[in-house]
Amino acid sequence: MKRNYDGCALCDATWGNYWREIEGENTFFCCNICADAYENMLKRVKKETGWDKIDYLEISGNYSAGRTCYATKGDERFDFFFRHEDGEITEFRKLTKD
Amino acid sequence: MWLNREIGKESISAEELSRRLEDYFKGKSISSWIKDHFLSRFYGDTPHRFMIAMQNPSRGMLAGYAYEHHFFLKQWVKSLAYVIAKSDLEEVQRNEIDNMLVEFFGYGGKPSHHELLIRMGEDLGLKKDEIINGSPLPRTQKSIGVWEMICRDNHWLEGMAAMHSLELVANRNLRQMGSRVHYFNEEILGSDRYPKSVVEFLREGYEADVGHSEYSLLLVDRHCTDVNLREEILASYLESEEAFYRYLDARYLRGKEFEAKL
Repeated sequence: MKRNYDGCALCDATWGNYWREIEGENTFFCCNICADAYENMLKRVKKETGWDKIDYLEISGNYSAGRTCYATKGDERFDFFFRHEDGEITEFRKLTKD
Repeated sequence: MWLNREIGKESISAEELSRRLEDYFKGKSISSWIKDHFLSRFYGDTPHRFMIAMQNPSRGMLAGYAYEHHFFLKQWVKSLAYVIAKSDLEEVQRNEIDNMLVEFFGYGGKPSHHELLIRMGEDLGLKKDEIINGSPLPRTQKSIGVWEMICRDNHWLEGMAAMHSLELVANRNLRQMGSRVHYFNEEILGSDRYPKSVVEFLREGYEADVGHSEYSLLLVDRHCTDVNLREEILASYLESEEAFYRYLDARYLRGKEFEAKL
């Protein structure tokens, strides 16, 4: 799965040294909380879309503002917003493009 | 999250991190440092979602505020009581007692902030018993635990800074300090769109919290003469700030729950 971040898969920080296998890839995170949030967010995207895999994920935002994202699979695109607390997803909304 | 927000996202050496943390905590007086950080966290580029909701609050959002804030005020009295018990200074004890009277017990025949809160909740469709005998959301409960711990286990100046900094939230001088929005849309104070009790409750905080927050934080400045204690006070403030952020989330989420019911 391709991503827009080079650092922590959720927040793009480059400090920390926490690794977890996600979608078959050994993925870098700054901490276990970001890893939990990321994993739970991907599960939610798959549940909402019915996709078995995601080709590309783009994230913008932060913990306070929440994160506006989109995921693609082939020609399909899914836009969404989410917030987390301690790694648990506390808000998740599908975004519709105008 | 705190490190990303306050210090930076990039990987740096332990020495550089130490230097940045030292810079982070040094400088201004305690009260100025806290005001700057509070403003940035709750009223900066991304105001908290509860503040955004309070610019045009629904009845449900105000009811959610009333419901969760009851539990906050119950802890408020306990927190201030720890400060009174631990300090020998009469000006500090008097400040806390005056604050308790205004916030929770009432004085001179005037209703307390807590009483005004309950009246607001009732006018918005809640029953008094429902509030008094209810249970807070887990986020509120967790935050209450943080304030209990800070005031019970730490120096009384840490307790004062942790609690009275939170009264900055309704300080009517927020805009002069640089905030883009006030705690709530000030037009509410002259509006007949809401029950009278809503206006009375919001006006009480609007008028009282300037003095409560600013004088109390000046007392912290005045009585902290130890540089190590200064860092402890600022660290306790940061813990309290985080707890308050989550507590405001609870108000917002309870408000959303009530919007569907009321």
